[in-house]
Amino acid sequence: MTTLSLPRPRTRPLISWRVRKLLIGYSYLVPAALCMLATVVVPIILAIKMSLYADVLYKPQDYRFIGLGNYVRLVQDPVFWLTLWNSVVWVFGSVILQFVFGFAAALLLQQAFRGRALVRTLTLLPWIIPGVVVGLIWEWLYQPNYGVINDLLIRAGWMHERVAWLSSPDLAMAAVVFTNVWRGIPFFAIMLLAGLQAVPDELYEAAHVDGAGVLERFWHITLPLLRPIIVVATATRIIWTFNYADLIFVMTGGGPANATQITSTYTLLQAYSSLDFGYAGALSVVLLLVMLTFTALYLRVTKGVEETE
Amino acid sequence: MTRRHVPRDLAERLLGGPVVWIGLVLLTAFALGPFIWMLLTSLKDRQELYATPLQYLPVRPTFENYVDAWTSPVTPFSRFFLNSLWVCSVTMVATTAVSVLAGYAIARFRFAGRDALLLIFLATQMFPSVLLIAPLLTQWRALGLVDTYQALIYSNFSFTVPFTVWMMVGYFSSIPRDLEESAMIDGCNHFGALCRIVLPLAAPGIAATAIFAFVVSWSELLFAISFTTETSMRTLSAGLLYMVGQYEVQWGPLSAGVILSTVPVAVLFSFLQRHLIHGLTAGAVKG
Repeated sequence: MTTLSLPRPRTRPLISWRVRKLLIGYSYLVPAALCMLATVVVPIILAIKMSLYADVLYKPQDYRFIGLGNYVRLVQDPVFWLTLWNSVVWVFGSVILQFVFGFAAALLLQQAFRGRALVRTLTLLPWIIPGVVVGLIWEWLYQPNYGVINDLLIRAGWMHERVAWLSSPDLAMAAVVFTNVWRGIPFFAIMLLAGLQAVPDELYEAAHVDGAGVLERFWHITLPLLRPIIVVATATRIIWTFNYADLIFVMTGGGPANATQITSTYTLLQAYSSLDFGYAGALSVVLLLVMLTFTALYLRVTKGVEETE
Repeated sequence: MTRRHVPRDLAERLLGGPVVWIGLVLLTAFALGPFIWMLLTSLKDRQELYATPLQYLPVRPTFENYVDAWTSPVTPFSRFFLNSLWVCSVTMVATTAVSVLAGYAIARFRFAGRDALLLIFLATQMFPSVLLIAPLLTQWRALGLVDTYQALIYSNFSFTVPFTVWMMVGYFSSIPRDLEESAMIDGCNHFGALCRIVLPLAAPGIAATAIFAFVVSWSELLFAISFTTETSMRTLSAGLLYMVGQYEVQWGPLSAGVILSTVPVAVLFSFLQRHLIHGLTAGAVKG
């Protein structure tokens, strides 16, 4: 049996090498794109759709399109406006204090001393542990009868009677903000420490020879050189703190009487406890808009910083 | 040695000496104090825990709280621990695989919409996860995935993938192209070059990113409480909250649970600290 064999002509590849390379590139992106599509993009579209329906999970018979009904309810809901104000207090209280103490911590951790690496690792701890753990630790510290905070303050003579930190409407917000400050200091400390280490020593030495004191050097060298990192760190922190719901949810659940209810915990409660997905959807859209505004502002500001460099 | 010739001003002498030491002591005490208090609490028995006046140190240290938490039939901490371990490990492996491919593509191929894509990954990092709860729950209910590990793992992608892709792009961009190109001339295809040349070089960064994905999934709370209803499906974070919800708060076992949930992430984190700090600030410092 003989087989007829002809020399095979060298054909041009069906798809050119350039296109093939591009296709390979796109195919590498497919899994990540699918992940984002399924867990972020589609859910966001779904949330927008939900916001236009009366959609309470345990009342399926009432499910219907109501247009902007949820948004009308939102505008008329005094709790919603309260949560916006509380968010402002929560975000700026937390971020400003985190920044100030974080900066101080970065300056301290930059000094040369024995065991610096160990101290750096240890002081990062509050930032890396789960939010629920932070919440529970501080709930126990604030506990009225057996909490160590009351005990220490009374022993020091600064207070005469025990205070119920988390269930007092006047103190609860300050108490959760303080906890969040504790948690966020390391974030600013690491970011600013990295910035400080990038400042060349020669600059300080030159200024020193010229007779500039510590404070002048800080004001004229450290701060201007750190400006880009300060802008980035602060902006991301503001957005992140605005969205962050875990800590308040664990510690007070937004109470007492909505004293610590911020917009993100309110959204969470509507979805998780009330199962009112329509209203939660409307609140989500508000969160989304605030987030996009912040992000756009942030991109503008960082671009401005880049250009002035 | 020029510094020595210039007289140090008062502020500098103060800052160099006592102020730094006092500051460091205060900083460390503030950061660690709450943990130490929790650790002390976890070692006290019931009587010492609720003593008046407050008893600071455990006189008869005991591990009873740890045993209670770990073996309790109502709040089975050992089960929560295994659930977390499984969910976080799978999230970590899958996230890493997905983001290695995407990061490599973004770092190496020039294609239309590349910058837009990077921006989308950056923006999704800022998304509030509370926004995703209602729609994701609807989605998982429709797919019959409520009370499954898959629901938690898939949901975790929403926050792990954007960050890890972003980190990977940075690592891959720092590896010179020449090495892959010569491998490809020697007959490797793209995927072969990625596996044999690029991955080994980027390994430390990839490992750090993977561990990071593990650590952030370990902290996840809201998805875990929303997408599971059975006690046996709870992760550590959700389980701790569940322990609070049971009758009155049992601070003894709860403090033991808090310590047990903290140790694994603290240990992992101390390994990857330097990498993470580099990754976090790489974009920022450059700006």
